[in-house]
Amino acid sequence: MRRARILAGTGLALALGFCGTSAWTYAQARADDGLAYGRERDAALADGRRALAALTTIDASTRQRAEGSVRDWRRVSTGPLREELGATEARAGASARGTVTEAAVTALDTRSGTAKLIATVRVETAPAGAGKPAVDRKRLEAVLARTGEDVWKVKALSAVPVQAARQEGTR
Amino acid sequence: MTRTWPPREAGTEQYSAGEDAGRKSSEEGRGLGGGSENSRRESGRSPGPRLRRAVAAGAVAVLVLGGCGFLHAAHQLRSDGSARNRALTDTEATSRVAGDVGDALARIFSYTPDGTAAAERSARTALDGKAARQYATLFDRVRQDLTAQRVTLSTRAVRTGVVELDGDRARLLVFLDQTSRRGEDAATTAAAQLTVTARLEDDRWRIVDIETR
Repeated sequence: MRRARILAGTGLALALGFCGTSAWTYAQARADDGLAYGRERDAALADGRRALAALTTIDASTRQRAEGSVRDWRRVSTGPLREELGATEARAGASARGTVTEAAVTALDTRSGTAKLIATVRVETAPAGAGKPAVDRKRLEAVLARTGEDVWKVKALSAVPVQAARQEGTR
Repeated sequence: MTRTWPPREAGTEQYSAGEDAGRKSSEEGRGLGGGSENSRRESGRSPGPRLRRAVAAGAVAVLVLGGCGFLHAAHQLRSDGSARNRALTDTEATSRVAGDVGDALARIFSYTPDGTAAAERSARTALDGKAARQYATLFDRVRQDLTAQRVTLSTRAVRTGVVELDGDRARLLVFLDQTSRRGEDAATTAAAQLTVTARLEDDRWRIVDIETR
């Protein structure tokens, strides 16, 4: 009887210990800075890709749709870029559809909530009317900022320019 | 709690003894009551100890299950895609692979009319697998023209981003500026964007696949 009691007690204590250790392990993983940083990087990448696709896309087949596209631009941008885009006048004209073919986060500061992203974008432009669509490939660099709603938005966007190499030291 | 009521109702000597044991044990630690029940069950008696035994067994089961749940969740956190990808999280490894790949691309895509040998030599050490085959095919096709038209090409990596870095495999996005000049013509610079897959072999990153973007 006594032996059984000890046995059961040990069993319960072991179970309790096991559960406690596991919970602690989980808490550790949850609070791990490296892991949190990785998650933040992937969030910035995913949000950035979505934002760049939206920013290189405009459906200007009608004026209403163009206004919708400009609203999308404002939704995925913040700060100076947002102001700039807000001033864009929507009108019917050429349409474009951008697809991010590859993107990478090149810098990430989780504390200040800023990130840098480079991306290649394939842009299909269709002129108003029945013109022939054209495909253009762009390479872009974007500065992202994490906003209050924990969403990464584009603060600045620029094309990475081609620079002629100096004559000497060609690399 | 619930444990104590059945013994009271039954009120036999064995029970009160059992109850004592149960109480004592619950002072020491939750589980011991279950133990005393266990032995009693063997003698095949009443429902009270059984209940205690069930409660104890239930508690053990819940704890073990909960523990497994926590372990699983922790494992999930540590082994999912964003945890395995060490791009940027491991700054040293990230800048190393970015540097190695950027340098390699610059070397293998830079040549003078008289000096394709250097580029091809670099390619032999920096390229492997599919990328090496692609490069060899390309060079076999253009080698004659290069010398005949006196083409000079110089390549620089202007931006390098590590998309994925998992142990000995990495995927990078590289922006290149390529300046070429034919004989005495003016130089022209063009942009190229590549997705590069690299593998770490003998402590050196080698490019195994190149895809234009």
